[in-house]
Amino acid sequence: MNPVLETRDLTFTYSPGTAYAKTACDHVNLTVYEGEFLGVIGHTGSGKSTLIQQLNGLLQPTSGQVLLHGQDIWADPKKIRAVRFQVGMVFQYPEYQLFEETVMKDICFGPKNKGLSDEEALQCAKEAAYFVDLREELWEKSPFELSGGEKRRAAIAGVLAMDPDVLILDEPAAGLDPRGRDKLLSQIRRYHKARGNTVLLVSHSMEDIARVADRVLVMNGGKMAMLDRTENVFARGDELQKMGLMVPQVTRIMARLRQEGYPVRGDELTVEQALEELLALCGKGGAD
Amino acid sequence: MLRDITLGQFYPGRSVLHRMDPRVKILLVLCTIVFIFVASTFSSLGLIVALVFLSMCLSGVPLRMYGKSLKAILFVVLFTSVLNLFYGSGDPVLQWGFMRITVDGIRRAVFVAVRISTLIVCSAILTFTTSPTQLTDALERLLRPLKKLKVPVHDIAMMMTIALRFVPTLLEETDKIMSAQKARGADLESGGVIQRVKAMVPVLIPLFVSAFRRAYDLAMAMECRCYGISPRVTKMRQLHVGRVDLWACAVVALVMAAVVAGNLLLPVWM
Amino acid sequence: MSFIEVRGVHFAYDPTEGEIPREVLHGVDLQIEKGEFVALLGHNGCGKSTMAKLLNGMLHPTGGNITVGGVDTRDDDHIYEVRCRVGLIQQNPDNQLVASIVEEDVAFGPENLGIEPAEIRRRVDDALKSVDMYEYREHATYKLSGGQKQRVAIAGIIAMQPECIVLDEPTAMLDPRGRREVMDTIQALNREKGITVVLITHYMDEAVQAGRVVVMDEGEILMQGTPRQVFSQVDRLKQHALDVPQAAELCSCLQKAGLPVPDGVLNEEECVAVLRQLLGSALETGEEAGQ
Repeated sequence: MNPVLETRDLTFTYSPGTAYAKTACDHVNLTVYEGEFLGVIGHTGSGKSTLIQQLNGLLQPTSGQVLLHGQDIWADPKKIRAVRFQVGMVFQYPEYQLFEETVMKDICFGPKNKGLSDEEALQCAKEAAYFVDLREELWEKSPFELSGGEKRRAAIAGVLAMDPDVLILDEPAAGLDPRGRDKLLSQIRRYHKARGNTVLLVSHSMEDIARVADRVLVMNGGKMAMLDRTENVFARGDELQKMGLMVPQVTRIMARLRQEGYPVRGDELTVEQALEELLALCGKGGAD
Repeated sequence: MLRDITLGQFYPGRSVLHRMDPRVKILLVLCTIVFIFVASTFSSLGLIVALVFLSMCLSGVPLRMYGKSLKAILFVVLFTSVLNLFYGSGDPVLQWGFMRITVDGIRRAVFVAVRISTLIVCSAILTFTTSPTQLTDALERLLRPLKKLKVPVHDIAMMMTIALRFVPTLLEETDKIMSAQKARGADLESGGVIQRVKAMVPVLIPLFVSAFRRAYDLAMAMECRCYGISPRVTKMRQLHVGRVDLWACAVVALVMAAVVAGNLLLPVWM
Repeated sequence: MSFIEVRGVHFAYDPTEGEIPREVLHGVDLQIEKGEFVALLGHNGCGKSTMAKLLNGMLHPTGGNITVGGVDTRDDDHIYEVRCRVGLIQQNPDNQLVASIVEEDVAFGPENLGIEPAEIRRRVDDALKSVDMYEYREHATYKLSGGQKQRVAIAGIIAMQPECIVLDEPTAMLDPRGRREVMDTIQALNREKGITVVLITHYMDEAVQAGRVVVMDEGEILMQGTPRQVFSQVDRLKQHALDVPQAAELCSCLQKAGLPVPDGVLNEEECVAVLRQLLGSALETGEEAGQ
């Protein structure tokens, strides 16, 4: 596996040298591999937002480096804008960034900034709209006429259309209802599979992370607290809870059974996994 | 960067100045500002500086906060005092070509710099020790006589309160939208004036949309809390002029009298 | 008669030019008793937010009627009374605080009611203590966390001494910690102060904490009952793409697979107890078979 993004002792301090100085990102050494789906969790103030905003050069590190395809992104500060097309970032509540007359024009904003011609940009925009299931009859509408969920998807399409090598999504499902959230997550997963590029998903919801991520990065107090395969991270439920994070209910249930000495794994993340294991134990799974 | 606007920011505390009646504070600050301009000799101005410095120390606000607000207008101070540098009459101390600096010019420059700085610090004392709500509250009461002229004083005060409340929120929002558009490759930093104004469109439109949405929500929240349907409106914080206020008035009056005396009795350069 | 009576309520928003009025509520009947904790559950756009605004007279039904303590919410002469009795909290914590300082914001409601200053002071202090924000009374509102802002907003309503609070997705924009803070506050107000709570949410774990759950879909009430009754209908909820607590879902699946699992498992505790028994007996028979 080739690394696509790496950070070397990445450190970011807000208002350095003053009484308010706060190191929100403290010597982070992270390697993100090509094509992986990495979940990022941490409670508010754990430094995860600061970390991801350095990955596409929106924040310049106080010290340390961000390497994209092995190149320091700040090697030439004038070229930082090019980095943003390669590392796409979807902010929390991205629908607040919509501004164009029509949905299609808005989605084209990124590709056009990238320097694509009108036709090329439109082509990219259409593909992106397809990934988020944005129906064709919405394309020529004003983005402000769409429903909340549609706006969210249009805004995400605006970043997908830039065809970034690495896509970072900050709480993409925040505020959506369960139906909207499920739909969006499966669209992101579909995009990841189809394009094979790297996706970083930042979320408070471990349930969501558990469903989609290969590996999970846990941030705490500006430092990397854990970085491991999803099931290994979630098996450390006690530690996660001490960091103020919520472990999925089903994981808590199975972990408790394990503590009581029952022969379950204790790192089940979804209802399906738990069900399969329990059925096997009760002699229902293999027999049928 | 955007959030770094200290001028007019309240610094909560329990100092003598915090406890003063905001109406009295406003009037005394206005009075002091007038006298900053009345003072025409160094000793008169010095008296005011001493008064303002004393208030700074009494305010319980860290001195570097004042430093920050001074830094914000450092350019204005420097610019005006440099201009004054060349306006003096008398024998030049330095001279290149038509530009000459005289002792009088230096005196003027220093005088102006001190004057503006004192002015800023003086108003900063008011805004550091008085919450925005107290300020609007006091203004509302000071302007109450205008109600007779059918000026909607209460509504104006409410608008000021809301504006003050939403300034930090909207600044933060601007920051966020700018980041989001930069992440989509928007170039907000380079190009000429026209290009830059054009580049701001993707920031301004979402900002307006969001401001309207917020206004709608807020109007709803205010209505839910019975704004505008009650015949009688009261205030939790009752303003009354206490002993501290009377003392403050006395001190300021004394200083002002001394300033007038200094102006009349002393030569200009003293 | 119940404290809040919703009888055959229809509601349609004023159409924008040239469009047909879209009805969002089609004949809703609901009774809410004093001191109850009711959770209103459903998707975005199912009409639950409209319900919130109808309950304190911010919107008027286009058909049917709503009474609060016997007063019709359409009665303009008594709108003041209705708003004092039923307070409304909205989703976005940033957009409902009026003043820059915590205690001054909380005082806003009582000031509008024309209450005596000393009494306002007392109410503000009480309200802030009841949401556990008293030590923040002199802080700037914009520097607070989302959960803290939302608690200040709740205090602002409590200071008006309402009998009922309607909360429209109060935790949707908060992080897990903020959500927990707000939910704890709501619980305490309901239990300790006897305030009627109508919580509109799409989080199942929040609805589970209520005394009664009302599920809405497409502008109608789909089902209602105790959380246990509602969440035992796993299939029906899933059909409407609604979440079910994982404990309930797991037990329902096990039951469907033919295992002896009782109905109505709701929380972690109960689920662990059920599984303990299940695994215990399964392992026992396994051992016997092995011997």
